[in-house]
Amino acid sequence: MKKTRTRAFPVLLLTIAFFVGIAYFVFNLVIHSAEWASMPTNWHLSDNEGIELAGSVLDRNGVVLAYTENGQRLYNEDYSTRCACLPVVGDSTVNNSTAIQTVYRSDLSGYNFIFGLGLPEQYKSGRNITLTIDSKVQKAAYEALGYNKGAAVLYNYKTGETLCLASTPTYDPMNVPEDIETNDAYDGAYINRALSAAYPPGSTFKIVTAAAALQYKSDIDSFEYDCNGYDELGGKPVTCYEPNGHVNLKEAMKTSCNIFFANVAVDVGKKHMTEQAEKMGFNGSYKWDGINIGKSSYDVSKASVNELGWSGVGQYKVLETPINMAVISAAVASGGTPMKPMFVKNISGQFGVPSADKKSEKAKQMMSGDIADRISEMMRACVEESYGEWVFGTNLKICAKTGTAEVSSSGEDAHGWVTGYSMDDEYPYAFAVIVEHGNSGYRAAIPVAAAMLQAAVESDKN
Amino acid sequence: MENIGVIVSFLLRVAEPVMALIIVILCFSSLRGGRREEHALVVLDDDSRKVSYPVLFWENSIGRSKGSDIVINDPAVSKDHAVLLRRKDGWFITDTGSKSGVLVNGEETVGRCALAIGDIINIGDTRLVLRRSLTAANRPGSTKENKRIPGPVILGLISIYVMMMLLQAVINMGNTFALVPAMGFIAFMFISYALSYNIFKRRDFELEALAFLLSGTGIMLAATHNTDTHQAYVQLAATIIGMVIYSFMIWFIEIPDRVMKWHIIISVGAILLLASSLVLGKELHGAKNWIVLGPITIQPSEIAKIAYIFVGASTLDVLQTKKSLTEFIIVSAISVGLLVLMSDFGTAVICFVTFLIISFMRSGDIKTVILAVTAAILGVVIMLSVKPYIADRFAVWGHVWDYADSTGYQQVNSLIYSASGGLFGLGLSKGYLQNLFASENDLVFCLMCEEIGLIIPVIIAGVIGGLMLYARGVTTRSRSTFYSIAACSAAGLLVFQSALNIFGVTDILPLTGVTLPFVSYGGSSMVSCWGLLAFIKAADERTYLHRHKKSKKPEKENKTSNTAVET
Repeated sequence: MKKTRTRAFPVLLLTIAFFVGIAYFVFNLVIHSAEWASMPTNWHLSDNEGIELAGSVLDRNGVVLAYTENGQRLYNEDYSTRCACLPVVGDSTVNNSTAIQTVYRSDLSGYNFIFGLGLPEQYKSGRNITLTIDSKVQKAAYEALGYNKGAAVLYNYKTGETLCLASTPTYDPMNVPEDIETNDAYDGAYINRALSAAYPPGSTFKIVTAAAALQYKSDIDSFEYDCNGYDELGGKPVTCYEPNGHVNLKEAMKTSCNIFFANVAVDVGKKHMTEQAEKMGFNGSYKWDGINIGKSSYDVSKASVNELGWSGVGQYKVLETPINMAVISAAVASGGTPMKPMFVKNISGQFGVPSADKKSEKAKQMMSGDIADRISEMMRACVEESYGEWVFGTNLKICAKTGTAEVSSSGEDAHGWVTGYSMDDEYPYAFAVIVEHGNSGYRAAIPVAAAMLQAAVESDKN
Repeated sequence: MENIGVIVSFLLRVAEPVMALIIVILCFSSLRGGRREEHALVVLDDDSRKVSYPVLFWENSIGRSKGSDIVINDPAVSKDHAVLLRRKDGWFITDTGSKSGVLVNGEETVGRCALAIGDIINIGDTRLVLRRSLTAANRPGSTKENKRIPGPVILGLISIYVMMMLLQAVINMGNTFALVPAMGFIAFMFISYALSYNIFKRRDFELEALAFLLSGTGIMLAATHNTDTHQAYVQLAATIIGMVIYSFMIWFIEIPDRVMKWHIIISVGAILLLASSLVLGKELHGAKNWIVLGPITIQPSEIAKIAYIFVGASTLDVLQTKKSLTEFIIVSAISVGLLVLMSDFGTAVICFVTFLIISFMRSGDIKTVILAVTAAILGVVIMLSVKPYIADRFAVWGHVWDYADSTGYQQVNSLIYSASGGLFGLGLSKGYLQNLFASENDLVFCLMCEEIGLIIPVIIAGVIGGLMLYARGVTTRSRSTFYSIAACSAAGLLVFQSALNIFGVTDILPLTGVTLPFVSYGGSSMVSCWGLLAFIKAADERTYLHRHKKSKKPEKENKTSNTAVET
C-alpha cells in the first residue's frame, strides 16, 4: 500500500495547483478589485443608491460641486455652475462615461478591499475628490458657448492641471429635463465633447503639417507658392477662401493658405505625415487620470493625392478631440514635450484621512525644441499680425491658430476652432475651443477662448 | 430599529466566516487526531536470517522490488511476489503471478489462501512465520481516539452558523422564507447523526459535518434567492437523498469481495445510464444530459460519476500490477465518448482526468497516462476540425473584458460583483449576481463572494482541497487498496470539478459550466457528491471499526441518544 500512497502524488499536485489557483484569484482580486467594482455596469453603484452616500466633489479652490446630504445627492447651489460643471462631474447616473462621478464611483462611494461595498450605510465613508478644474473658468466658458454646441479646454502646460473642460449642451443635474432623450437641443449632453468628441480640425491641423514639413521636408524654408485661391492637385481642386499671394511657410500659416499646406502634405508623403500625426496624439488611445480620452484619427492609407493634400489642412477624414488639440498647443509652448493633462488633484483617504496631491508627468515628445520654437513664432505671428492682440481681451501674450472646418455632409455651417497658449510664465495656459457650426474660428471660437482666459487670470489673482 | 437590523446583519456577516473557519479547523484536526498510529498487528519472522518484517497495512505487497510493502532480499523471490491481506475473517495470502509460487505449511497455494498464526510461508528460498506482534499486544488501544471532537458538538456549531445566516436572511429580506429550509436542514443533520451512530455504528462524523457545512451554505444561498426560494427545498431534499445514497454506499462497499462481484454489472449499468440519457435525454442549456421524469429532471451523468470511480478502483488481489487495465480503458473511452456526444464537455473532461488518476494509481504506469493524453489531444483536434464552432466557446477565455456584453457576460459580472463583496459580503439576498442565468450553480463561487464575502468561499475551496489531502493521508490506513484508490480518485474528481467551476467563472480557465460540489444548486449533483464522499469515508478504516465490535446493546434503546457523546 506504500505504492498506492506514492502514486497518489499526482493527485496531491492537482490539489496544490488548485490551491495555487485560488491564491491567484485572491491575488487578482486584491489587485483589481477597485477597478472591477467601479465598472459602470456594477448595479450596486449605478443605481441611485450607489451615489447617495458618496463623498464630495470639489473644484481646485474648494468650491463644492457635488455632495450628499440626508441621503440626497446635491450639486452646487448656482444654476450656471451646476450646468457648466456637469460634463466633468456627472450626475447621479452613469450616463456620462468620462464623468468623475462615473469613473471614480467606487472611491466616492467608499469602496475598499476589506469591506467591499458592504459596510452599513451609516459607517460608509466615501472619499472626497478635489478636481484641478476651476468652476469659475468652467462657468465662463459655458456662458460664452451659450446656446452653441461645442467644447472648451484650458490647461496649465507647466503643471498639467486642467482648469476647464466645458462642453455644451448640458443640463441641470438637480432638475434633469424630461425630454433629454428626445429633444435635439440636448443631443450629446451625456458626453463631454472636450474629451470624447472628435471633429475635423480644419486649419488648426496646419500646426501638425508644419511640424511634419520642418521635420521631413528639407527644402521647406525655400519652398514658396503663389496663391491665387485655386489650384489643382492630383487632377482635383484645392481652394483657399481668398487669394493669398506669394507665401512661404510662415506667411502661409498666418494667412492660412490651404493650397500651400496641401502641397506640403503631398511632398511630405503619407508615411511621414502619418508618423508626425501619430507623434502628436493621433491614432492612439489614451487614459488620463483613469478617464478614457476619445480617439483622434489620421488615416490616409487609402487617400488619393488630392485627398492627402486636403488631409494636410485638417479636412478629408482627419478627426481630432479638443483635448488633443490643447495638448499640441501645450507641446509647442513647452519646447516640444507637453505635460499630460490631469483632472483630479486629490483623492482624500477614507474616514477623513488626508492624502497627498497628485502630480502630473510628461507625455511623449511631439516635436523637437527647434521645431516647437519655429511653430511658436508662426502662431505668435498669427495673433500679432492677423487676428490682433486685443481679441483675447487680456494682457497675456497669446500664440494661436484658428480653424474653420468644413463639415462634409450637407450644407451645414463649418465648425469654428481656435487653439493656442499664453506665453506668460505666470499664466501658462494652453487652450482649444470648438464651436460646432460656428462658421468661423475667428468669430465664434476666439470669444470663448477669450472669456476662458480672462476668467482663469482673474480666478488666479484672487 | 431599521438601523439596528443593518448593524446586526453586518456583524453576522463578520461572524459567519469566523464560525466556518472554527468548524473546518475542528473537523480536520479531529480527523487527524483520531488516526491510528501505524503499528504492526502481525509480523513475518524469518528465523534463519533473524529478520522480522512488520506487517503494517491491510494489504501488503511482498516482493523483491523496493516499492513493496515487505521487501525481501532474496534473488529467488519475484519482484511482485504475493499479497498479504487482512480481511474480516483473518489473514490471507495471494500469489500475484510469482515464478516460484507461494507455499503455506509446505503446500502450494492456488488463489487466495487463509492463514493462521504460526503458519509457515515459503516464498522463494525464504521461510516466514506469521506471528502476533509483541508491540501490538501491549498497546491499550489508541489514546488519540479521545482527542476526537464529538459529532453533536460540531453539528451544534454548524447549526449556529446556519442560524446566523437565517437571522441575516430574515433581517435582509424582511420575511421568513428561509426559516423552513434552515430549520429542516438543522433537524436533518441531527437525525442523520443519530441514525449513523446507532444503526451504522459510525462514531466519527467529521466528513459528514464538512459536507453539511458546504450544503448548508448552498441551501441558505438558495433560500435567499430573491425570485426562486423553492430551490432551497430541492437542495434540502437532495441532501437527504444524498445521505441515503451515502449510507447505502458505505454499507455496500464494506466487503471488498462484494465490490468485485458487482463491478461488471455496475460498469455496464453506468454505460447504459449514459447511453439512455443520450437516447431519452432532453437538451437543456446546450447539453443533452437531462432525463425528465414527471416533475423531476435528473442528470444521469452525475450518477455515472459514482459508478465510474467504483468500476475504476475495484481491482482487489491483483494489487498494483499492470494487468487488467484494458477493461477500465474500454469503459472510460465509451463513457467519455458518450459525454462528448451529449455535449457535456465539462463532465467529459472530469471523467478523463479521473481516468488518468485511477489508471496511474492502479498501474503506476506513466506510459498509459501519456498514451491516454495523446489520444485525448488527437480526439480534441479531430473534433475541432469536424465541429469548429466548439472552439468559439473557448475563444473568450482570457479576454472576458473584450466580450463583456456577449460571451464574457457571466465572467465579467462575476468578477465585478465578487469585487463588490469585499471580505464579508453585501449580505444574503443583497447581491445582483443572483439575477444572472446559472448564478446558483455555475457562478455560485462568485455569488458567495458577493453576498457572504470572500472568506467563506475560500474556506469552502479549502475544505474540498482538504478532503483530497485527507484521502491521501489515509491511503495506507485503508482496509484495501480499493478504498485508497477510490478515495483518492473521488477526492481528485471533486477537486478538479471545483477547479473547473471556480476558475471557469473567474476566467482563469475556460468556462465549462460544471457545479461546485455540495454548494451549487442541483439535485443530481448533490446526490453525486455524497456518493463520492462515501468512497473517501470508506477509505478510513475507522469507518467500519465499531461495526465489527459487535454491540451488545439492543439498537432500539439508543434511538433517542442523538446527543450521545462518544467515549
